[in-house]
Amino acid sequence: MPASRSAAGRWLVACLLCLGFWQLGTGAYIPAKAWLAQELMQRAWLRAGRDVERPAPWPWADTWPVARLRSDSREVDLIILAGGSGRTLAFGPGHLSASALPGEIGNTVIAGHRDTHFRFLRGVEQGELLSIESAKGQKHVYKVLGAHVVDSRKGSLVLDTDAAMLTLVTCYPFEAREPGGPLRYIVTAKMLF
Amino acid sequence: MKRTKNDMHAWSARLILLLLIGPALAFASEPTPGQAQSGSLLWRMAQGYTTATLMNTDVDMQISGLVARVSVRQEFHNEGNEWVEGIYVFPLPENAAVDRMRLHVGDRFIEGEIQEKEHAKKTYEQARQAGKKASLVQQQRPNLFTTSVANVAPGERVVVEIEYLEDIRYENGRFSIRFPMTLTPRYISGQPLADKVGNGWSPDTDRVADASLITPPMVSASRGHRLTLTANINAGAPLATVTSRYHPVSVSEENGHYRVTLSAGQVAMDHDFELDWKPVPSAVPRALVFTETIEGQPHHLLMVMPPDQGEAPPVLMPREVIIIIDTSGSMHGVSIAEAKRAVHLALKSLQAVDRFNVIEFNSSTTALYPASVAASPSNIANAVNFVQQLRANGGTEMRPALELALSSKTEESHLRQIVFVTDGSVGYEDEMFSMIEDKLGSARLFTVGIGSAPNSWFMRKAAEAGRGSYTFISALHEVREKMEGLFRKLEHPQVTDIVVQWPSSVAVDSYPQTIPDLYLGEPVTVKTRASGEFRANDTVRISGNFVTGGWSKVLPLELREESEGIAALWARARIAELMEAERRGGDSDGLRASIVETALAHHLVSRYTSLVAVDKTPVRPASDPLSSEQLPNLMPYGQSTNAIFGFPATATNAPMLRMTGAACLLAALLLFAALRAGRRSHHARLA
Repeated sequence: MPASRSAAGRWLVACLLCLGFWQLGTGAYIPAKAWLAQELMQRAWLRAGRDVERPAPWPWADTWPVARLRSDSREVDLIILAGGSGRTLAFGPGHLSASALPGEIGNTVIAGHRDTHFRFLRGVEQGELLSIESAKGQKHVYKVLGAHVVDSRKGSLVLDTDAAMLTLVTCYPFEAREPGGPLRYIVTAKMLF
Repeated sequence: MKRTKNDMHAWSARLILLLLIGPALAFASEPTPGQAQSGSLLWRMAQGYTTATLMNTDVDMQISGLVARVSVRQEFHNEGNEWVEGIYVFPLPENAAVDRMRLHVGDRFIEGEIQEKEHAKKTYEQARQAGKKASLVQQQRPNLFTTSVANVAPGERVVVEIEYLEDIRYENGRFSIRFPMTLTPRYISGQPLADKVGNGWSPDTDRVADASLITPPMVSASRGHRLTLTANINAGAPLATVTSRYHPVSVSEENGHYRVTLSAGQVAMDHDFELDWKPVPSAVPRALVFTETIEGQPHHLLMVMPPDQGEAPPVLMPREVIIIIDTSGSMHGVSIAEAKRAVHLALKSLQAVDRFNVIEFNSSTTALYPASVAASPSNIANAVNFVQQLRANGGTEMRPALELALSSKTEESHLRQIVFVTDGSVGYEDEMFSMIEDKLGSARLFTVGIGSAPNSWFMRKAAEAGRGSYTFISALHEVREKMEGLFRKLEHPQVTDIVVQWPSSVAVDSYPQTIPDLYLGEPVTVKTRASGEFRANDTVRISGNFVTGGWSKVLPLELREESEGIAALWARARIAELMEAERRGGDSDGLRASIVETALAHHLVSRYTSLVAVDKTPVRPASDPLSSEQLPNLMPYGQSTNAIFGFPATATNAPMLRMTGAACLLAALLLFAALRAGRRSHHARLA
């Protein structure tokens, strides 16, 4: 009797170990993928302008780099991908298709994950400078106007603005463990040049 | 002891295996478009709204001759535990004459009444506040309507049944009817206004004043949004084919009556339904006259095919073809692939004498060449490359692109034809129609509606304003067939100066008042109301001109078929023409009064009239609150869930995974320790 009970116990320990390692592995895999993808895309970005107009960062990618977002003071250097689908956001912040392209009049909306690429947003302050390099190689500098929290169930983003605006969107609160909450942290910036 | 060690080895092997495949499994479960998972862009705003009320639709089409009567039963199911008001924005065909609405409560139903829009709204609001069941059907655009249903009890199902009449499209010997199921989210531009009249995701703007009424939330998946459909065709002649373009159907026939049902039983409401049927060659009609007499006034629907020019040699006049391709965000997905293939075919169809240019637009407009160039092989190859590289991104600012195409300098010797490839998902349609009319000159505009749910009203009206024709492409496999049909129209002579002469014995009121030029395969269609009965031997004469000479046809009016709905269709055509006059800046008070008068007389929903039904007895206790829910629409099939805009989901489950992982390991450790302790005491006891 005790023997079979300890066998069952061993099974349970093994299962828990497997489950634990699996979850940890996946948990570590998400940021690792986010980091690796950015490395690959930096290379693709450097290739841009030389051969094809919009090189795919990896052969089977269904998205492509549209811009490069930098903050020198925060050591942030991110390649922005086209589209805001879940698949895209796993690899890098995504530019929402219907919003203005960087440098254009209108609102450029870029969304990123709060726990990977856009974690830095929580520290961004009014008056900071962010720079965006468009796919055509033009550099634009944006000044942060402010940050606020919105309820995505109630508000919507205005896309048609008079000036060239930049809106960075990520989930809020930053410490929350469960994904899928309704709140969003929004950083708005205005183009200086 | 030895055995235990072997066991340990086996365990670690299994563990390593799991560690290896674990992340792989996680990778396989990566959200794909169409799945509503964390991380995928999903309209969470909409998701929040959808929890309580589900919507399903049942469609029944009765088709006879050139007229269809369609019944649409919208079932609202309140799954929540509060009283709700459901608001649902839905598309109908742009020529639908909505003339009936019934609110079904249990086994009873309340027939809807036609009232002026503001009046109907008031009637509905009063009932809503008094706790009575009520429903209201309003028109937002000729092809976009809203149903509101108030005081649906927790757990209750309420059905709002809407009926409309529609004239069947007939072209190239083929009849077709379309039923739209969802809408492509509209691009809204302009400065936001302070107030918001509707519940949509967009604020109202100075350019689209009712934006919040035409922008329902969109979801990529839903437990509701299922549609069943039955169509009965009474063709009066044997049919060679009955085909559904985008949904598998089963067709049965009995005594010339064809019955069509969806093979799948029910389908997701994410793709327009289109049914085509073709009579056997010997029964292809060249002329049809239907009539309905109301209060001594005969109403006629007349359809006449001009002589077949399909075998005639194509026009040899050199053409200047300007292709405009919409590369806005709403074209992302299948639509842009269809559009590119269509443009590719258009480029390949050019002759050496032709000139051409390609213009792409989203938030900004880019022309391939500063002005049209000769259709030389190298220029065409260059254009093919240009089109191949296009990506769908950005807003839908079509005005600059159209202006560029219409106003660029033209060669006298060339006939300018503009092929406009778009999904028409804009909220400022009227503005475009006026601009096209103003700048058209001698050019002709042909619209190609792309995607699973193109804005059909925009396609049709823009082509009408541009004196061209419209084509829909909703699947990749039909691009070639549809574009070839369009090329034949572009290349063959038109019938111009069409005149329909009615007998002078009675006064007639006829629509359209000016008959547009006809392209290959298109019939003359006229709807008329006469002030009194025609005499027995009266005839109607239709005449027109080809490049090669005149053509005329005389039809006896006594050879006609009685058909229900002709009067309503005539009224619908009259309202459309009055609306056009209003858009062109006519006397708006006078026109509005005429529209209201016509709509009320024929029980039709219009921009200024709505159908409203109110149950007599209050059902909701005054103490219970009523919450209002804007029901979402399904994203059109093939459109990427990377929705048009809104808030993407921007958190991963990595922190969650790390936490559960750590918890599992801790539990394993504790259990292991407990087991060891247990075994030690067991050994001790044995010893």
